[in-house]
Amino acid sequence: MNWIAKLAAKAPVPIFIARGPDAPDETDRLHLNPALTIVDTPRAASILLVAGTLPHALKMYLHRLHDQLPHPRATVFWHSSPTEPFSNAVEIAHGDDLASVLLRTRAALLGGERASDADVLPDEPANEWQGVGPHGQGGKGMMGGTPYGRPMAMTDDDIRDGLKLDAYTAEFGPFLPMLPAGMILKLTLQGDIIQDVAVVSPPYEDARKGREIRALLRLLGLPTLANRMLVENAHRDAGFKRLVTLSGVRMAIPPDLGRTHDGSDVRSRFEHLLKDPFSPQKPHLTGLDLGDLLEGREWQEAMLILNSFDNVSLRKICANTRTNADEDSSEQTSGGHENMDHSAHGGH
Amino acid sequence: MTVVLAVFLIIGLSFLFTAGLRAGVAVDDKRHATYPQQRPFLGGSDPETHALQRFHIRYYTMTLLFVAFEMEMMFMYPWAVVFVEEGPKALAEMGMFLAILSVGILYGWKEGIFEWE
Repeated sequence: MNWIAKLAAKAPVPIFIARGPDAPDETDRLHLNPALTIVDTPRAASILLVAGTLPHALKMYLHRLHDQLPHPRATVFWHSSPTEPFSNAVEIAHGDDLASVLLRTRAALLGGERASDADVLPDEPANEWQGVGPHGQGGKGMMGGTPYGRPMAMTDDDIRDGLKLDAYTAEFGPFLPMLPAGMILKLTLQGDIIQDVAVVSPPYEDARKGREIRALLRLLGLPTLANRMLVENAHRDAGFKRLVTLSGVRMAIPPDLGRTHDGSDVRSRFEHLLKDPFSPQKPHLTGLDLGDLLEGREWQEAMLILNSFDNVSLRKICANTRTNADEDSSEQTSGGHENMDHSAHGGH
Repeated sequence: MTVVLAVFLIIGLSFLFTAGLRAGVAVDDKRHATYPQQRPFLGGSDPETHALQRFHIRYYTMTLLFVAFEMEMMFMYPWAVVFVEEGPKALAEMGMFLAILSVGILYGWKEGIFEWE
């Protein structure tokens, strides 16, 4: 190991956590460990930590996530055993200290004793594109290409002023740090606002204590206060309450955001969580769906709304919401853009 | 002579620096990003479309207003220079100019261009 690798091995280990439904309670407390940095994107991580057993349906998502980590990288399974194709992964044995295993693995990666994980997915574009079309852009016309294997976004109605511009449709989740773990939403974004919502998968049924208040504080830019909530009875501490008041965080939540039929909104749910973080408000949710809550909202507002509900309420709201399967069948009948042959887009 | 020497030295050093950067990139190039690595991060999901897209710059009306008032300042600087010579006539002219501009602001206000969306 050369001197620069030795120096690098002393820094905190950047890890990205892929959480399963049975992830241990200690997962959140890893934020308090000074030897680790929990990062919000796999691009900044050197170790992918799989906490708990992932449902079979999420295997493909884990593979995509794994390949986004930069080299040198390693995968560590915690409270679960490595599955194919992660035969080279590290498994935390019962009684082993997670942080020291992570530090050792990273040191081995930097020193070259451990080979960096290879890609799980094949190195090929999502669609054929190279050499197709007059400029090799993968299609006909100005907007008709599929550069790097991805078709260009097409115009769609705008819910604000009717100026039709490109709508971006993608699935978000299940390992997106700002969404409750396990939740997959298919969102259509028109510029900065959410235009359409469909549920691909609801969040896990996990009932981690205080998840909502910590997620809200993190979203509002106060990660240290969120970490303080991990300490026993922190919310009863007068100093903590004063810090929350001084931060002006209540003013950062727009009024009337995510209002349910019984009048509860994100501000009132946040206030309730500050007083009693372990028993979130149970608003009246009959007939309320994610479309009512999220459509027309900007991303930051939408994330505040989602994280202000506990997972049980969110699962109820998701059950009321149109699912991805409904959407696909309706699009097939109306000839929606999803089944269009992207290589044949006309010039716009 | 020293100036010419300095210029050549700067050119030489910048060539060396660029060559160094290129060499560094060439060493790293064997680990280019593969297609799965290039995928945008959506929490493990796969995007349907390319990220390049057209969207509405909704603050453009405010930008136009800003540019208009920048131009007004261009007029006010020479006006301030001749103000003492010209006296009340200059004051009246500037008053008329500002009055016309404020009609523009009032119109924009009525149309709702100051609302952030």
